[in-house]
Amino acid sequence: MAELYDRHARPIYSLALRILGDTTEAEDIVQEVFSQAWKQAARYNASRGAVGAWLLTLARSRAIDRLRAKRARPGDVSDERVAGQLVDAGPPADLLVLSSEQVARVRAALDELPLLQRAAIELAYYEGLTHAEIADRLEQPLGTVKTRIRLAMLKLRDVLAGTV
Amino acid sequence: MAMGTEHDDLREQAELYVLGALPPADRDAFEAHMASCADCTAHVKSLSTVAHALAYLAPQHEPPSALRERVVHSVSGSPLKAEPTPRPIVARPGTALPWLAVAASLVLAAALGIYSLNLRSRIGALELRLQEATDRATTGERRIADLRRVADDAHSQLAVLVAPDLLRIDLAGQPRAPQASARAFWSRSRGLVFTASNLPAVPAGKTYQLWVLTRQPAPISAGLFKPDPSGRVDAVFETPSDLPQPIGMAVTIEQDGGVASPTGDKYLVGL
Repeated sequence: MAELYDRHARPIYSLALRILGDTTEAEDIVQEVFSQAWKQAARYNASRGAVGAWLLTLARSRAIDRLRAKRARPGDVSDERVAGQLVDAGPPADLLVLSSEQVARVRAALDELPLLQRAAIELAYYEGLTHAEIADRLEQPLGTVKTRIRLAMLKLRDVLAGTV
Repeated sequence: MAMGTEHDDLREQAELYVLGALPPADRDAFEAHMASCADCTAHVKSLSTVAHALAYLAPQHEPPSALRERVVHSVSGSPLKAEPTPRPIVARPGTALPWLAVAASLVLAAALGIYSLNLRSRIGALELRLQEATDRATTGERRIADLRRVADDAHSQLAVLVAPDLLRIDLAGQPRAPQASARAFWSRSRGLVFTASNLPAVPAGKTYQLWVLTRQPAPISAGLFKPDPSGRVDAVFETPSDLPQPIGMAVTIEQDGGVASPTGDKYLVGL
């Protein structure tokens, strides 16, 4: 477990901090993720790369759930599984470890995207908003937001695929 | 064909699904479809790598060293063995005071984090409005003029943030300031906006100096700054129009008045 922690704690903590903006809550997320990983250790016998992806997916889901809980207003329909879908999907066994160069390329590609596309992606991924909430936040028609997210994701995927 | 149309409609939701941006009903419908559609399953798989990469784009921060012990201890139920840690752990004197300081800095970090998220969201919304106006330049001259006036009035910072040649560099705290983080926006035509939070106060006679890293071996000084009492910096620097393309930025601590090339400890680095 110590080895697993040393390998993955930094990106997990950083992601939780980016989403929640709070060091104490980010630490809670790290603890929860490793606790869950420990309990389910038998279930992930996939490659190391897949474990990293899975842990980050757990971290994002838990962080987004917290963020949504904080954001929730009385009367909102609760949906505890909004972010949970990626957890259920599980780590693809053949997911490669991303090289720092690949991450840098995605970062550069994200920065080069038109502002609307970049903002839509960031609101979805880091703030856990649905497409309708993103459209609200950006004051854009829903159809426009959907299209921009598709274009952006396909562009980023192609940037990644070109470097594999 | 009804089936084909339904498949096409659902396949277009794969990107939203991977990002977790589908509302529950749409998500369930997509998952039900995916269970019997190899094409959509493969499509989602190819996109999920992007989501994985996004996880790594968050500014990287080192978790507190005490967290490691807490996690390893709690999950294994045994004391932490003497395994190598990736970073040296700074020994703290056994008094309560340093812990009070840590607690205070955590509270401050939380407040600044929320503040910067809000600010970022606001700037993002303004960026978008101006971008949209620019897109409609040929048909909406008046709207552009209005928005430009708003932008000019609002902040000289915004002028940089909406530059068409905008470059963004995120800087992460170094061991001397692990909680610090910063973001720089640079435009050749409009200059450099630099915001930072959680920077330690500078000792008397010292200053922070911001360096632009280019493909030339020597870093180029962008300017000097000091954080406010909360550790926050909002600064605008002019950069020469012949500045080589930046590939990174760094902040060091130097003697008051600044130096020609960096000599002090690095506090923030972004590449």
